[in-house]
Amino acid sequence: MRRILTVDDSASMRQMVNFTLRKAGYEVTEAVDGEDGLAKVTSERFDLIITDLNMPNVDGIQLITSARKIPGYSFVPILMLSTESQAEKKDAGRKAGATGWIVKPFNADQLVAVVQKLVK
Amino acid sequence: MSEKTNETAARNLEKAGGDLQWLLRTTEDAINRLVHAFQSLTGHTETTLELASAIVDCVQDQSVVSVLPSVRALGIAAKQFLRERSQATSGILETVTAEMKLLHRLSEVTEGQAQIALDMNMLTVHTKIEVAHLGSVGTGFEYLAHELADFSQSLTRNTEELARHTHNRSDAAENTRHMLSVELPHLRKALTRVEANMGDDLVQLEAGLSELSRMPEQFRRSAEDIARQIAGVVVAVQGYDITRQQIEHVQEALTVISHRLLTEHDAKARVSSESAQAHAGLAIQICQLGAIQATIAEWKSQIRICMEGILRISALDIVGIGPLVLEQERSMSSQLSHIELLECECQSYGEKTRSTLEGISNLSQLFTEHLQKSDSARKRLRLLTFNSVIEASHLGAQADTICVIADGIAEVSAEWSTVAEQSGRTLEEFLNLSERISEVMTTFSKTCSEDLNRAQEQTKTGLESLRKASVFAVLQGQKIENAIEIMRTSSGEIGKISDLLDTCFGRINEVLSDIEQIKGQLELEHPDVKAGYDGEEIERLFSASYTTQTERDVLRSAIYGTAFSAAQQSSIGNDVELF
Repeated sequence: MRRILTVDDSASMRQMVNFTLRKAGYEVTEAVDGEDGLAKVTSERFDLIITDLNMPNVDGIQLITSARKIPGYSFVPILMLSTESQAEKKDAGRKAGATGWIVKPFNADQLVAVVQKLVK
Repeated sequence: MSEKTNETAARNLEKAGGDLQWLLRTTEDAINRLVHAFQSLTGHTETTLELASAIVDCVQDQSVVSVLPSVRALGIAAKQFLRERSQATSGILETVTAEMKLLHRLSEVTEGQAQIALDMNMLTVHTKIEVAHLGSVGTGFEYLAHELADFSQSLTRNTEELARHTHNRSDAAENTRHMLSVELPHLRKALTRVEANMGDDLVQLEAGLSELSRMPEQFRRSAEDIARQIAGVVVAVQGYDITRQQIEHVQEALTVISHRLLTEHDAKARVSSESAQAHAGLAIQICQLGAIQATIAEWKSQIRICMEGILRISALDIVGIGPLVLEQERSMSSQLSHIELLECECQSYGEKTRSTLEGISNLSQLFTEHLQKSDSARKRLRLLTFNSVIEASHLGAQADTICVIADGIAEVSAEWSTVAEQSGRTLEEFLNLSERISEVMTTFSKTCSEDLNRAQEQTKTGLESLRKASVFAVLQGQKIENAIEIMRTSSGEIGKISDLLDTCFGRINEVLSDIEQIKGQLELEHPDVKAGYDGEEIERLFSASYTTQTERDVLRSAIYGTAFSAAQQSSIGNDVELF
């Protein structure tokens, strides 16, 4: 079963991502912020990461930058899930190594379709 | 503003911020509970969908939809069957009444034969007397006397046998006629009524089966509807997260404004600028809170509608599948039982008619034998009479009496022929009646119900499939009911959480009221406060923490008066943009 990490400081957001992807047949692990996410990425292997942008301790951009340096995570798809829709923020995410960007709220079907495409 | 007033305003803003903090804490907890209840609800919805899906699969596996052509054939055959039998009931009574008439005529014929037998007996006596009178010359006529005696006895026996059979048959026919005249009108009415009812029932049955055939498509639509509603709740819960962030930003802004108000009296030179910034900040937060309220109303409404939708679709469409299959099976079984009952009833009348036919057949046979015997006897009698006349002519005047007797025999023989002709005609009518009865019997016989029987067999096969699906549907239906009951409990929990959220978010009105009051005080003490700020500076000051385009749009709307539509959140969620 493909493993996905969802990183968000909002419990309800994590639950919604978890709920949507679990229903689609994925194993989902939750991280409460960037720091927690980074710790999990370092110790476990995930097939895809979905991270929020604005989080305490380590934000989404920092998480992506750090994760890309971890062996085996260079090409792991990382999606940013944020309320932000500004072009400069998206550009920062892309430069940090994000694979894609989703403006909250996400469309469940769309998310599943993209995850299926990225981790097939 | 005076130092004291500023302190009061700052305290009030801190209190408003505290209210918002409480609001976030309480609603976060409530939303987590709501998400938990929602996940439980969807879990059971999925269980319900799986159970219902199994029913749909079973209905498809059992080819229940193929029952429809059988039912249509059954309807046509049953109608034909009922009409034919309704018409045949009239035929039965007419046939039995005709038999009664024939039996009456037969009685008349047997009475005529009895008279002939009597005449024959008298002629036998006369012949014997004349033979005795002629003495030795009369011995040639002894054979005639002997034959006449035989004929008379034989005719008497046959006539008595015919009379007995006719009498018995008359009694039996009268009983049958009486019974049929009482019962057949009831049967006819019952057949007419059943035909009308069956027409209605079959229309309903066909409609039910058509509905059953649409079940897989309906189920697919229901499943899609539920998926849409679930997706709607997923989006709405995210709406909460967005408003949570926005409320946090308002809370942060209130802290900034509070600090501005407290620092105002320390730097007299910047008094009006600080007040203007505080005023502008308050105006922005009022707009932000207004927009937040609109967004909250939107996602709360979406949660309620979607949850209700999930329950409604589950309760109406999915739970209804089991009883629908069961109802169709019961309806079809009932129709088949009804038809079978009618068949048995008609079969019973068929037996009675068959019995009538057998009675007539026996009597006809007896009559035929009797006619053959009497025909043979008459031929012999004519020959004897002819021989007697020749013999008598040899004897001359001595045998005049024998000639008279021979004439008498000829007369009786002629009468006998007449009676025999009558018997023959009656027999012919009997045979015609037998044919009519045979036609009536054909209508009532099993071979005539072949179409109906074939349709019944096909329907029974289909019914067996439907029954299997029905039994399965009942078992699954009970599980579905249990799941729905738990879903209702979850829904009740969600309702309570929604009420709690209403109360919590109602606190925003109080915060708004506090902020507006402080803003009003600022306007009273500094009439020029509305124009004394730099828009770009205010934008930089308050938008730094903003994470949504909505917040930025609201801020610009508050500062520059640009148009802004409060309800902007997507109800279906946003797509993924891949780099």
